[in-house]
Amino acid sequence: MTTAFAVIQMMLTAVRRMIWSRQTMVSLLLLTLVSLGCIAWSLRGERDPADFLRQILLPMYVAFLLPMSCLGFATVGIAGDREEGTLVYLLSTPLPRPLIYTAKFAAALLLALAWSLGGLWVLGAAAGPAGREAVAIAWPAALLATLAYVGLFQWFGALFRRATIMALAYALFLEVFLGNMPGIIKRVAITFYTQCILFEAAAPLGVSPSGPHSETIFQPISGSTAQMILILLSAGFFVLGAAVFSRREYP
Amino acid sequence: MSRHATTDPLPAIAELAGVSKFYGPVMALNDVTLRLQPGITGLVGPNGAGKSTLIRLLTGQLRPGLGRVRVCGRDAWRATAKAHIGYCADADAFYEEMSGRQFVRLMARFHGLFGAAARQRCEAVLEEVGMADRADRPLAGYSKGMRQRIKLAQALLHDPDLLVLDEPLNGVDPLGRIDLLKQLTQIANRGKAVLVSSHILDEMDRLAQRVLFLCRGRLIASGTLAQVRDMLDDHPLKVCVACNSARALAARLALHDTVHGIQMQGSDRLILQVRPPKEFFPMFAELACQEAFEIQRLEILDASTEAVFDYLMQASQPGAESRRVSAAGSVVDRQGTPAP
Repeated sequence: MTTAFAVIQMMLTAVRRMIWSRQTMVSLLLLTLVSLGCIAWSLRGERDPADFLRQILLPMYVAFLLPMSCLGFATVGIAGDREEGTLVYLLSTPLPRPLIYTAKFAAALLLALAWSLGGLWVLGAAAGPAGREAVAIAWPAALLATLAYVGLFQWFGALFRRATIMALAYALFLEVFLGNMPGIIKRVAITFYTQCILFEAAAPLGVSPSGPHSETIFQPISGSTAQMILILLSAGFFVLGAAVFSRREYP
Repeated sequence: MSRHATTDPLPAIAELAGVSKFYGPVMALNDVTLRLQPGITGLVGPNGAGKSTLIRLLTGQLRPGLGRVRVCGRDAWRATAKAHIGYCADADAFYEEMSGRQFVRLMARFHGLFGAAARQRCEAVLEEVGMADRADRPLAGYSKGMRQRIKLAQALLHDPDLLVLDEPLNGVDPLGRIDLLKQLTQIANRGKAVLVSSHILDEMDRLAQRVLFLCRGRLIASGTLAQVRDMLDDHPLKVCVACNSARALAARLALHDTVHGIQMQGSDRLILQVRPPKEFFPMFAELACQEAFEIQRLEILDASTEAVFDYLMQASQPGAESRRVSAAGSVVDRQGTPAP
């Protein structure tokens, strides 16, 4: 009972501190910019949900906004305490380290989910009816991608002192670079699985891999397989992060 | 070093057994064995001696490469041991946006205290460290001394058996120091083990019942200051004697082998260099009684932590015969075998 209470307190404290952090300001700024872009896009003639998915969600939200907002919250959980020197207070409590990690993970996940799904809704609303219809199709992919990104970036937080820089390098270089490579190498990128889920869900609207995403180059997997992989990745990253955090010394 | 256990009747609250710690190729601690008992123990050593590493091992922030660290019978790395450890780290880090009271109350919740119990405990420790009336101000505006007190308050929340303080006197004004030292003495009087690392060696004289001397990752001496000083037979002890007939006393003392130097200070004061002290003092007592010298004052001048520390540092310099001295009276060489 007291342990559960302490873990919840730790989680709530992390949530409070993350809400009022620099990361929230950056995420808010990015969301505002993309929302303004959406409003401008919606004003240019007739728009349908497929256009919104192809022109806004895939290039701006899935490839950029979603990983960035997850990165901001997930890396600051443990790495932020490390940088500020306050991690010692958490590690001096009689809570097992995996529970401390879980509290931080839960806080980051809560905020990242609120931000990614809330952000998706804001973009849809800014884009008008076409946007709202597309959001109804896209949210499951956003939810699973958020889970996987938070798991990955929180693991970075346990692993690296400068976790934000490492996560930025991963998101901007590996996800973008490898995610657009031909062949199966792109399967190391979380974006690939998010896109697969989206393409399958939006197939009735006529959205399919085209251009650099053409079937032959993109080689998509089924939506259900992509969902399963993202769930497994999330669980795997969480377990890996908890194991690293439990064994690692933070002098 | 095992003779510590057999000769000391007090139970050990924390124990390091054959502990070594490596940072890559650097050996930060080398085969350290010690026991911490109720009372205040000082931890002394130059920069890079391994003090912080030892403290972090004791508080479960680090794991030993070799050996084991136990607190109240539990592995210090494990969460169960943390319930017995209060840690006041040297880093000056807080959740700056909070007030002192909010911070301490939050730490109480992290320790599983909630509701009225958390509030009461929080107020009790704030009162104990003298911050109850100033704890509502934001932490960011606190002086160094106030921040040290808040750190101490959070370390006391769960009434730990072992309290570890890394440089707690840093930045604290002289009056604050006296207060803080008084508080630590009170805590130790409640049967708690308190380990204080400090480079302010004067404070150690007044504060610590036992002192651990670390140098280059090795525990070179441990015990009460007097015990450690007694073991330093190589270094003559400086003794000040005030006597009406100082010249006559000097003439008589000069005949004894245990007196290696005599210096007159004024007309009634002698500064003696004696070795070994154990033989000097009985001889001196006998001489004073037999010859009816009126001794007004007898004072050992270099049994302070600072003097002992200096001697130990000289002894542990490369080239000097390096020896470890234990409170139980054993002098051991680098291999741990008794020295001749």
